[in-house]
Amino acid sequence: MIELKDVYTIYDDEIEVLNGVNLHIKDGEFVSIVGPSGAGKSTLLRLMTREILPYQGQVVIDGVNIVDLPSKAIPLLRRKIGTIYQDFKLLSNKTAFENVAFAMEVCGLDEHEIGNDVPKVLGIVGLNDKLNSFPHQMSGGEKQRLAIARALIHRPRIILADEPTGNLDMVNSYDVVKLLTKINELGTTVILATHNREVVNAIGKRVISMEKGKVVRDQVENGKYVL
Amino acid sequence: MREHLNRVFKVGWTNFKRNSYLSFGTTGVMALVLMLFSGLMVVNFLSSTVIGSLEDKVDISVYFKNEASEGEIREVRQQLENFGSVARVEYISRDQALEDFKQRHAGDALIQESLAELEDNPLQASLNVKATDSSKYPSIVEFLEANKFRSLVDKINFYENEQVIKRVQSISNGMRNWGFLATMILAVVAVLVTFNTIRLTIYNQRQEIEIMRLVGGSNWHIKAPYLVEGGLYGALAAAITIVIFYPVAYFMSPKVESLMPGVSLIGYFVSNGFQYVFLVAFVGILLGVASSFIAIRRFLKV
Repeated sequence: MIELKDVYTIYDDEIEVLNGVNLHIKDGEFVSIVGPSGAGKSTLLRLMTREILPYQGQVVIDGVNIVDLPSKAIPLLRRKIGTIYQDFKLLSNKTAFENVAFAMEVCGLDEHEIGNDVPKVLGIVGLNDKLNSFPHQMSGGEKQRLAIARALIHRPRIILADEPTGNLDMVNSYDVVKLLTKINELGTTVILATHNREVVNAIGKRVISMEKGKVVRDQVENGKYVL
Repeated sequence: MREHLNRVFKVGWTNFKRNSYLSFGTTGVMALVLMLFSGLMVVNFLSSTVIGSLEDKVDISVYFKNEASEGEIREVRQQLENFGSVARVEYISRDQALEDFKQRHAGDALIQESLAELEDNPLQASLNVKATDSSKYPSIVEFLEANKFRSLVDKINFYENEQVIKRVQSISNGMRNWGFLATMILAVVAVLVTFNTIRLTIYNQRQEIEIMRLVGGSNWHIKAPYLVEGGLYGALAAAITIVIFYPVAYFMSPKVESLMPGVSLIGYFVSNGFQYVFLVAFVGILLGVASSFIAIRRFLKV
């Protein structure tokens, strides 16, 4: 369960990004967060991974207010969450296998388990023939699928996807969304921040609309992209 | 734990290989730094040899009156030898002094004739005293002045040599102090160059480090392979330095010997080979690891 209580954030000591956000996301939900650029969608996700701190309010994940988390515990929080970004954020000097393996290594899993699981998850995202390819040898769609594989590998309870289709064409975008829907069906909470209307309308699940740092609409079921 | 360490070394080595351009550049700069470091060792060795030979030339002589018996002179010698700051004492008897004098002036007929006409040996017995350090001469002279055999001593030539001794001392001290200062400045420059080179290498990978943080990598997990990589730069740079240094020292050695007879550069570095190799490798690895450690810290704050 994720809960944001009266959250405010400020950039550079003056620009207000989130302006009193209250949210409640249940386990296993698929939530699309929509809104124009600068509405605060990415900031919302970055709060959940403790990349940034609010100047007021609470961000509660599984009963823990992560605002008070000591810095040593941040890696542990991030291992519970799989994150997917618009710019993929892949390690350029590591192969597809190593990129995914890294997320397992940081969790302290052994070589045997890594050798077993990585090819499997790369198979799920359709990259079984790209194990030894470097990111620069892959297409945009492949890179994003690799990023999804990395986000999935440690079986996180929450997946945060920040504009995952922003750099992809329509076909690849639908592939990515299909994968996210499948992951959600297996019980993982998925939070998707996007301004891709077609994608959101095709998913047909909960849609939260944001504007100027505030939640302006929350369609709990069969939501559509409405600003 | 062992598996973890294996992984750290493996990843460090893989990064080192894959960043071959950067690794090559960084190792090259570090090798230059270590060569500079070796050069400083050579300069230190040569300057301490020069200082040593200069100081070696300084001594004082204590001349005894003719009534002093050999037994008494030997007692003074014994006392001097037991005195802390005396390195060695040489006794020259009157006969020995005459013999030396004759030999020194063997070609001078006038002196030889004059000596033959003398009935008695005009020369005095003396003790040549060498101190462990040229600054110790005044205290040795003080000791002799207060000695119970002082009445047997005719003169101590320290007072004539005092100026020379002081000059040698100030030159030695100057060389030591300036040498130390120059070494320190160059060492600081070397550390800064290495640090900045490694910092640039890591700066280049700041995005990777950020990503590792975002997928849940702990500080240690991210840092360790970079420390290994830094150590590898240092180790390889040390190997390159040693491979270049010995042939250069070998070819320079005869030139040094022609300027400073009896000084063998290659001999010194061969007989102290283990210490030299250990020191260069230690400094190289330490510089690499420490620079990586400091450089990566600021990128771990995501």
